[in-house]
Amino acid sequence: MKTGSGTLWTLAGAAAGALMMGAVTAHANPYEKYEGTTLVVSWPALAHFTAAETLLEEFTEETGIDVEVDALQYLKLRDRQLLEMSKDEGEYDIVSWVVMWKGEYVSKGLLTPLSQFFTSGSLVDPQFDIDDVADAYLQNGGVVGGKKGYMPGKSGALYGLPFGAETSILAYRKDIFEEQGLAAPTTYDELIDVMSKLHAAGIPALTSRGKTGHQVTAGWLLHLAPMGGKIFDDAWNPVINSPEAVKAAEFMRHTVKTGPKGIETFGFGEASAAFLQGDAALYLDTLKIAAMSRNPKLSKVDGKVGYALHPTDVRCGSETGGFAMGIPANSQNKDAAFLLIQYLTNKAGDQRMVELGGDPVRISTLMNNADLFEDYPVVAEQLPCADPDWRPLIPEWNELNIDVLGQALTQVITTDDPIQPIMDAANEKARAIMEREGYYRWASYREGN
Amino acid sequence: MQRLGPYFFILPAVAIMATGLLYPVIQAFYLSFFDWKIGTDLEDAPWVGFRHFIRMATDADVLESITVTLRFGFWTITIEMLLGVALALLLEKPIRGASLFRTVFILPLMISPVVVGLIWRYLFDARIGWINYYLGYLGIEPQVWLGDADLAFFAIVFTDIWQWTPFIFIIVIAGLQALPSEVLEASKIDGANWWQHILFVKLPMIRSILVIALLLRLIDVFRALEVMYILTGGGPGRATELLSLHIYNRAFDTQQLGYASAISVLLILIVFSLSFAILVIGNPMKDKADV
Repeated sequence: MKTGSGTLWTLAGAAAGALMMGAVTAHANPYEKYEGTTLVVSWPALAHFTAAETLLEEFTEETGIDVEVDALQYLKLRDRQLLEMSKDEGEYDIVSWVVMWKGEYVSKGLLTPLSQFFTSGSLVDPQFDIDDVADAYLQNGGVVGGKKGYMPGKSGALYGLPFGAETSILAYRKDIFEEQGLAAPTTYDELIDVMSKLHAAGIPALTSRGKTGHQVTAGWLLHLAPMGGKIFDDAWNPVINSPEAVKAAEFMRHTVKTGPKGIETFGFGEASAAFLQGDAALYLDTLKIAAMSRNPKLSKVDGKVGYALHPTDVRCGSETGGFAMGIPANSQNKDAAFLLIQYLTNKAGDQRMVELGGDPVRISTLMNNADLFEDYPVVAEQLPCADPDWRPLIPEWNELNIDVLGQALTQVITTDDPIQPIMDAANEKARAIMEREGYYRWASYREGN
Repeated sequence: MQRLGPYFFILPAVAIMATGLLYPVIQAFYLSFFDWKIGTDLEDAPWVGFRHFIRMATDADVLESITVTLRFGFWTITIEMLLGVALALLLEKPIRGASLFRTVFILPLMISPVVVGLIWRYLFDARIGWINYYLGYLGIEPQVWLGDADLAFFAIVFTDIWQWTPFIFIIVIAGLQALPSEVLEASKIDGANWWQHILFVKLPMIRSILVIALLLRLIDVFRALEVMYILTGGGPGRATELLSLHIYNRAFDTQQLGYASAISVLLILIVFSLSFAILVIGNPMKDKADV
């Protein structure tokens, strides 16, 4: 009897165990293992990321994983991130980088390849659907090591997912255009004409970044691609004195002369503010302007803004920029960090970002919300033209961008000096840097043989 | 033993100075022989010998930066010394409300340099700045203060004068108030007029204080960074890129830490030479040599 009773208890226990197992299987929680973990995220103090803080709170509520944010002015992120990522054990579990820094981070061995996580069945949500992420954003922000080291290609590897990524579109003041009898320009010739007409009517035309260094270069690069220019030819010879490059510089000078006062001092914030506060009729830069113009805290022009494709010249070519995020090699919470990145960029997270006033990175989100926002169909149409090679994201780019082009273009927009000699001198400087960094060693070796 | 005694007692101070002051300088000098980038191990950084120093000697950007710094130093220090001394002479007498004026005058000195940079950046802003706004009332066209090479240079000089004149003022007024009244009265009895009283009695008596003030300001000019960084970032072009800002931009914007260290060594040499020259010419401790 005793034995029978024991058997019965054993059977009952086994049955209960089986039921519980079933229950556990039914409610298995991929986040449970990481509950109580605190993730530290380094990202920029920009509107999209400020909006994302609500999504982080929702993530913590849903998963029990805490998130702390270290938000900095976007150009200050790099120093801080480099210092943290070069320690044995860094503070940051997720870093969000401006796409132009990806080559440097990877070449210094500071990032974790995302393949480590995408091979884990317990971490990857089968519904994540990476193919739905806009390819231009994914390649430009996250892939390193492909063609030229930063372009798509078979030798490339994924280090980050786009979040706050962007391309460029044209935003214009519908009310002013209507009042002046103007149509949204589709080509650069039309754009130049519209700018001159607005200026003649006493209306500041196109706002632009123009501050010495990175900002003025970013402003110029936006026009270089559609005008058919490049920074390097296929053998890494700089071609920033080409006729196309000079034409883009001439356009910058025209922009300063017909645009709002102070373009020479404008960074991203000031250039956007000039449009959002009603001091410029045109904005040709990141698509982020659309979400910002809808934000009453930032904008006085909500409801008055129309959107059009980035004008074309010899070809269509818009920028691919903004941010991507990945996991530092010295993070102590890599798996949990991947779960957060996945949460922010999956279909639900992307849709939630739109609701919070951010910018989507998925094609499906753009299409699903096309009726809600006037800019979304324009962005979807623009994306196939987004040029991943509009600037070379090589480790030396920062020096070229800030020290060479950033200085030369300041001379272009603040003086009336002839442009060709300025760009010739810049080209020489760029060549010396590439020589110093060993880009011509292979060519020289082959010539020697 | 008696001879060694004083050295023994100053040993702790010398040890702290050597650790706290000399070590970073030696480290900067050491770093200038390497091509090091943040995010990589210093042990892996390639040794480049004197290459950075050779490059610096022919680098037009470094030369331009030194020229900008010297121009900036000349204008700011000259005007600050003149204004500071003049204000101190005006406010040294116990007139009604003098303490209020003194407090108001030294306010800029109490503000953090970053805040000073931000305040003036917005005041000078071409689009929304108050300066352009009020100039508009006078019928003057809005100017791009921080986007034109000459105007931007004027802006940083003006801001520096606004911030640092109180420093000269406060030092000089302290010196003036400490002057022995017997000498001043004697000069009056001898019939010295107001100008003679200032030029031949007061100023010579505070000469050592003026030299110290000049020296401190000169060192500050070469160390100035925060205000220019916020106000103009060194631009447009390199029009306001003082040497310290040039070093910062090289080190962090373009990641040339080794090269930036080499320029830092040059900066130390320049400041040391200028300080040494001033101390030799106007030795403020000369009268105290027998103390």
